[in-house]
Parts: sequence; structure tokens; C-alpha cells
Amino acid sequence: MMNKNLLRLPILAAALAIASIAVAGDSPQKERHELMEGVLKGAKVVGPMLKGEAEYDNAAAMKALKSWQSAAARFGDLFPEGSETGEDTEAAPAIWEDRAGFDAALVAWSDAVDAAIAANPATLDDAKPVIGPVFGKCKDCHDGYRIEDD
Amino acid sequence: MRRYIVASSVLLLLAAWWVTAPSGFSESKLPDHVPDAVAGERIFWAGGCASCHARPVNGKRAKGPDKLLLGGGMELESPYGVFRVPNISPHADGIGGWSMLEFVNAMQQGVSPTGKHYYPSFPYTSYAKAATSDVMDLKAYLDTLPEIAGHSEDHSLSFPWSVRRGIGAWKRLYLDAAPVKVSTAGDPLVERGRELVEGLGHCGECHTPRGRSGGLLDDRWLGGAASPEGKGRIPNITPGGESIASWTVGDIAYYLESGFTPEFDTVGGTMVAVQENMAHLTSADREAIAAYLKSVPAID
Repeated sequence: MMNKNLLRLPILAAALAIASIAVAGDSPQKERHELMEGVLKGAKVVGPMLKGEAEYDNAAAMKALKSWQSAAARFGDLFPEGSETGEDTEAAPAIWEDRAGFDAALVAWSDAVDAAIAANPATLDDAKPVIGPVFGKCKDCHDGYRIEDD
Repeated sequence: MRRYIVASSVLLLLAAWWVTAPSGFSESKLPDHVPDAVAGERIFWAGGCASCHARPVNGKRAKGPDKLLLGGGMELESPYGVFRVPNISPHADGIGGWSMLEFVNAMQQGVSPTGKHYYPSFPYTSYAKAATSDVMDLKAYLDTLPEIAGHSEDHSLSFPWSVRRGIGAWKRLYLDAAPVKVSTAGDPLVERGRELVEGLGHCGECHTPRGRSGGLLDDRWLGGAASPEGKGRIPNITPGGESIASWTVGDIAYYLESGFTPEFDTVGGTMVAVQENMAHLTSADREAIAAYLKSVPAID
């Protein structure tokens, strides 16, 4: 019994070490970049519907909205002190200089996503007034909290 | 000899005085048009008035309803110095009490009611290309907005730009109501787009490069330029180059409406305010702008 427990400890320690390496490998800069790429993937599904280029598809739209809901829940934690620069981050210094403003912009987006999910729009005409604002909040936050690369 | 030098200097000075004299339209130039405040709201957004004249809020660009509080005060940094944007609200400190002719002369001739030249940081060389009836509608709309008290400080410019009278010579070169040489082939949609892009929208002021004396280079019309604020570049929006050449008319119109590119990236930088203004136009207007942009000569 004793021997077994003794054996378990290093295994546990090794597992923890591996886990922490995995976490450390994903810097906040990289993690938020990937999260944002995922959000973009959803925008490329729903955007063409709003634009009139693709047929409106409720299930696909809801899937994207739910992916944004979970992204919104994680996003705010990915801008810790010390992650202001590096890895070609497009995060603007304003995020740390005006944290309350950034958080409010994020909440505004998250609220718009929640409202669109609650509306569960069946048609494009239903979707435009509830998903349009979700896109608008993306833009509002980028304007000021993202570095322009051009 | 000395008499000759004195005489020719006096003549030169007189000529310079005459060349640089501010001159505006006379009353008879105003079209027979009843100003329409409702139509003027569209002109207000197309003209982008709020982007510069709306009073900044906590040092930031005004958003939403604050865009209608036109107390001025924004500072525009430029290679010539700092321009401070004036109050154009209908208060006496702004344009309150201006006659229609005074307003039209400000907008299309760059001359103030007291007979002084405006600096072309106020894009009257573009507004000169708009229909005067539209400008009259704009005044009717501005007169309905809230009155804001207060004057902005004077511009802080370096010599020789600080000599306001010199603008008169510049205007002789660059103030021209004629359209930029773009063929619209009589297409009414493209014509409407021309009015919005060349005139009210004053797109060329940033998207067209300038020569050494600060005039727009029409043979590089909308071909992209150094940012007037010093850093970065303003993109080429002709059918050439690599910025929006691949965009369809629908893509351009949707971008102006929503702020999203065909790749679903968002509008950035100084274009954000422009796009938000364009979102107030009709979809027909945005389509006209797009059709015009597709018609201009491609610049690589």
C-alpha cells in the first residue's frame, strides 16, 4: 500500500509538470489570438448570411453565437499584466491603460451575443436586428483596443 | 535704377495682394432652392462634418448622439502645425446668424463671413465640387442642432503657413469646382457616386497623394497616400493595387454599411469615423459610391 502511494506521487508530479508545461506553452498572447481566430471563423459563417451572400441557416448561426458566448467568457482573462507586448500581439496599450473601458466593451459584445442567442432568430429578417449589433460590438472594441497594422 | 526697384516691388506687392484676395460668390450665384433640413441630414453624414467638428468627449472622438454637438475643439496634427477645429453649432460662437450666402462661401469658396481665407484642413476644395443646393440643405439641417457655446483656440502653424493670406495663391491653383477627370459615361449611379466621393465625402483628401505644395495629384486620384497625420498609409481605393481591387460593388457597399471587410475583419483607424458616417446614408448612396470607385482609373 505504502509502496503504491509512493509510486503514485512521482506520477502525479510528472502529470502536473506536463500539464503546466502545456499551459505555459500557450502564452496569453497566443491564446487570445487563437480565440479570436475562432471568433473570426464564426463571423465568416454568419457574416455572409447578413450580407446576403449565403442562405440564412439558423442552426449554423446559433452554433457560431454559442462559440462566441464561450469565447466571451474566457476572453477577459487573457490580458494579464505582462502580456502587453510580444508575439506580434495586436492588443493596444489602451487595454491596460483603460481596463474599465475595455471590460465594458467586452461586456457589451457578450450581452449582444446573449441577446441574439435568446432571440434564436428563425429568419434573416429576425437575425439582422439581433446579430447585426453583435458585429457592431466587435467593431466598437477593435476601435481603440486593437493596434491597426496598416 | 532705385526708382525702378521700388516701383517694381510695389507692383509685385500689389499683384500678390490681388492674387491672394479672398473672394466669394455673390448672392446671384445661389440657386433658386428652398433649403430642406431633412435632405440636409444626409448631406451632414456624407460630408463627415461630425468627424472633426463634434466636441471630443473625455479627449476621445465623440460617438453616437454626441456627434451632433458641434462645438469643435478637436486638434489636427499636421506637418504644417496644429489645426484647431472651430465651433459650427448654430450658437453665436459658431455659425449662428450666418446668412446662406456666408455659409455657401465658407463651404465652397473657403472664405469666412469676415472675408478671411480658411485653411484647406477644412476640405472646401472638395465641397466646392458638391451641388450648392445640397450645401444649402446642410445649413438648414445644422440650424436644427443644439447650440454650443465656446470658441476654439487659433491654429498653431509654422511660417510660412501661418500667413493666412497666402492661402489665396494656393486656392488659385487648387480650388476648382470642376469634377476630377473620371468618366462616368452618363451612368446616373456613377454620377451620384461622383457627387458623394469627389464632393461631399471628400475621399480624395486622404486617399489621393499630394504634391509638394499640398495640392492633390489628380493623375494619382484615390491611389493611396501617406497619412496626413504622419504615420502609416491611407490605402489605394481604385480598382488597381492590392487593397480593395478584388472587392465587388457589394463588398464596398457592405463595408461602408457595417464596417466589415470581405474577410470579416473590421474597419480601423481614421476610417472608423468615416464608415460610421456612411452607415447613415441610404443603401443606394453606398452602392453609388462603390460603383464610382469601380469606375475610376486603376492605380497600381
